Amino acid sequence: MVYQGKVLFNVVLQMEIKMKKNNELINKASKPTQSIIQGKIQRREILKAAVAGAALFAGGSPAIHAQQKTIRFLNAEPSRDSVKALRVAAAEYERISKVKVVIDTVVPDDAYNKLQASIAAGTPYDIGTLAFAGHVFILADAGKLVPLNSLVSKYKWGPRILFPIKGQNYWYPYDYNFCWMYYRKDLYQQKGLKVPTTWEQMAENAKALTGDGKFGVAQPLGNNAAAQWMSLGYMWADGVKMLDDNFSLVLDNPTNKPKVMAYFEFMKKMSPSMPQGMTQALFGTVLGQYSGGQVAHAPYAGRLMEVIEDKAPDLVSKTGFFMYPDSAGKGQAVNHGYDGWVVLNTPMKDESLKFMEWFTENQYINFLHSAPLHFQPARLDVYDDARWRAHPLIEKHADLVEFMKSLLTRKDVIIRSVDTEGPRIDSRPGKMFETFAITEGLQNVIYNGMPASEAVDVMSKKYRTVL
Amino acid sequence: MQGFRTSSDKVLKWAFIASVSVVLLLILLPVLHAIQLSFYHSESFVSNKSWVGLGNYARILNEMIFWKALSVGLIFGCLTIILQVCLGIAFALFLDRNFPGLPIIRGLVILPYLLPTVVVALAFQWMLDGTLGLLTIWSEQLGLGRPSWFENPYLAMTVVIVASVWTWTPFVTVSFLAALQTIPKSLYESAKVDGAGMWSRFWHVTIPMLLPMLMVIILLRSIWMFNKFDIIWLLTKGGPSSATEHLPILAYRRAFLQYDVGGGAAVATLSFLLLSLLILVYFYYYPLEEKESSH
Amino acid sequence: MIISSLRPEKELFDVPTLIPKTIDWQFTSYKNLLELTDYPLQFMNSIIVALAVVVITLIISIIIAYVVTRYRVPGKTMIVGSMLYAYMFPPLMLAIPLLSIFATLGLADSLIAVVLAHCTLTIPLGVWMLWGFFKVMPFDLEEAAMVDGCSRAGAFFRVVLPLSLPGVITVSIFSFLLSWTDYVFAFVLVSSDLNKTLPVGLASLIGSFDARWGELMAGATLIAIPLFLMFVFLGRYFIKGLAAGAIKG
Repeated sequence: MVYQGKVLFNVVLQMEIKMKKNNELINKASKPTQSIIQGKIQRREILKAAVAGAALFAGGSPAIHAQQKTIRFLNAEPSRDSVKALRVAAAEYERISKVKVVIDTVVPDDAYNKLQASIAAGTPYDIGTLAFAGHVFILADAGKLVPLNSLVSKYKWGPRILFPIKGQNYWYPYDYNFCWMYYRKDLYQQKGLKVPTTWEQMAENAKALTGDGKFGVAQPLGNNAAAQWMSLGYMWADGVKMLDDNFSLVLDNPTNKPKVMAYFEFMKKMSPSMPQGMTQALFGTVLGQYSGGQVAHAPYAGRLMEVIEDKAPDLVSKTGFFMYPDSAGKGQAVNHGYDGWVVLNTPMKDESLKFMEWFTENQYINFLHSAPLHFQPARLDVYDDARWRAHPLIEKHADLVEFMKSLLTRKDVIIRSVDTEGPRIDSRPGKMFETFAITEGLQNVIYNGMPASEAVDVMSKKYRTVL
Repeated sequence: MQGFRTSSDKVLKWAFIASVSVVLLLILLPVLHAIQLSFYHSESFVSNKSWVGLGNYARILNEMIFWKALSVGLIFGCLTIILQVCLGIAFALFLDRNFPGLPIIRGLVILPYLLPTVVVALAFQWMLDGTLGLLTIWSEQLGLGRPSWFENPYLAMTVVIVASVWTWTPFVTVSFLAALQTIPKSLYESAKVDGAGMWSRFWHVTIPMLLPMLMVIILLRSIWMFNKFDIIWLLTKGGPSSATEHLPILAYRRAFLQYDVGGGAAVATLSFLLLSLLILVYFYYYPLEEKESSH
Repeated sequence: MIISSLRPEKELFDVPTLIPKTIDWQFTSYKNLLELTDYPLQFMNSIIVALAVVVITLIISIIIAYVVTRYRVPGKTMIVGSMLYAYMFPPLMLAIPLLSIFATLGLADSLIAVVLAHCTLTIPLGVWMLWGFFKVMPFDLEEAAMVDGCSRAGAFFRVVLPLSLPGVITVSIFSFLLSWTDYVFAFVLVSSDLNKTLPVGLASLIGSFDARWGELMAGATLIAIPLFLMFVFLGRYFIKGLAAGAIKG
């Protein structure tokens, strides 16, 4: 309130100065004109001030308060429960430390832009959420992040989740979001199908379950993050590498090119089993299609189970899961996904670090519980923590949870994504991700009739422009 | 037209100067900042910048995708404007009578314009959904199969054009309707007496009287349509394969997604220069100052 | 076209299992929306911002348009023309430097910043429209009033303003609409959940992963209906306003 008062006072002060200037002019005019002009100006200025004041008070949110310390937290999990968990944590922290934590929630796609906009404008958030390693790299490289080594080193973590830059950890991951395949066990039983271990079998199964207005599988194919998370798993399972240890493209070398071509052709073969509109499909689309019973297979992470528990409970017992198979039946993969927090280099950074330390000790599990199956813990200790295990959904789906945990420890599972290719984190794989060259390749082969070999060349050419 | 003589004039003058300064400051500073960005290479808005002078421009102008985006923008702009104007005029003429329920119909006609773009995009995506969309189902029933609305570049462009026309024709309609009110009926009467038919009346009375309004509308809509970002982004994100990607979308993707802030700013500046050219041409033919006030 | 505008409304009441063309007259979607999101707060924010934008736009556009038409002003064309620059750049690119300007003024993350940002979009339009009005109003009317003892300001309030009321209302409506439906500026300039406006709130609903079509459509309708009603009633003035603006020699 004091802050708002100060600003309002300034506004009023400036107006008074302006009015004094005008008064000198007015005094030279005739009497009636004077009063009218004065009235007009006064009214106008007062109106402006009133509006400004009203807006300020209605707005109600100060920047850096003179008296109370405030930390600004950019959250990218907009679901009601996650926001609630954060707000509860913030309220609790304010109670014990007298430091206010203001939460701003945006959709994940907007988080990075909002973060960099805030930094560029000189009003950076103190803590932010990021979902791409490349973004972490860029911000750290520009010196905008604070190392979190003290927080990170306390625990043991899963594979490929810490992204150290020159030995420092600027990023505190809070979950994995691996993408694997769900399927309808009941339909499999009906048609006598078995869990596929090769692409052939996958395509066959999908085909067998297509008909009567229903489709075998939903694979997003648009130039978006959803497609790159949900539809590339098959290719990773085959051991395809995009970059070598020097960040050179090896996608089209003699080892990988045939595999990528085979993958394109496999997706083309499977496309008649997909519903219409896959280039428009987003995360929510697939969830809706599976829970509505329109598709028999759907790629996703834990969220799918949460959604069907909520919206289509009769499907829960009918739903099974498996990893992306490869072409020969020898390997399997999941597509990588993750989220985490960063602390920014702001005047409040010490307070931010204190908050993060408290939060990750005391409130982390609460936060994870806002999406108990989708927020797969990145910290290994949580899996053995009775408080985490005590959630009803986690108890109920112990088999799924076991499966998810095993992904972290098994040696025969490939965990990959476009933006984590290469020997360490860097902005180049991120740029590759944003070109969507591979989804274009898929579209070229599936919809535009381009031969697979040409599609791989076009894709590689595009990737090379950003490397 | 006079000078600022009396002191009350002078007060007004200062008020004017103050207002204009504030407004121009808020507009020009960001514009200049954005243009300035185009002379640097930077991976984000916070990374270290390196000066490249006109390097970004040279690079952009050499890329096929820039010229493609330009052509997409021109096609999109021209087609939408032509359709908006023609349909707008048609609707205006239709509504230029008095019939019961006029206010409600008028309200309905302008409804598209009132909706936030987000809502319009949603509505169209809903109707064009691959499995459940109304239009998809209708087209199936009509025996046309299930069109891939968003996979086919031509269809995608069509969808985007239709959505834009649907949303912004009301602006033209209402402006025209208003303008129609100002044409004295006597002109029509005398034309009728001279034996002019409906079409001839329209062409020789209505259009000439409304030409100024028409030009203003076309100018404003040109600027807006060429720069329309939301509707295309929300519907197709510039896809499939950049088939609906015009200059604003290219600029956005470069600067905010593809770690190329300088490039994005360069694209935006080029687009800006093009539009400035358009405005200059407009002011040449329709200057703010007329020679004589004819009233 | 009118038919299309009715269609989205029908689908609003669909049951979650998404059978097209079934109408289900439950209001659960609406109830959910109002209870579970910050909708009422965002609605208030949007209204406050939009009204403030209308007031400020009117005041400033009137001043600028009036002065430009009644006095000799050097560089008129340049001034008015350069106002159009606001429309010629992607708003997001302008929003970032704007945020920076507001930050130095101490206005970051406030609704005032949003109001001022919206004004940069509405004032050019306002100036253009009102310019047309004031231009066709012959100065003799004001002169007559001043001869009768009115000051200039008095003449303005008593003669010019009433005659250009349709124009004023038009500018108000356009400004309100522009502010009400803006997403970009509200998104960049506001950084706490308390200050969000409606379009931003709607966007987070879309972005969250559980395709909540029902609540979404409910939110969309609630946004559209007040505007629809407003236009049905004020439509008359709006059209008259544009009519008078059409007379630009």
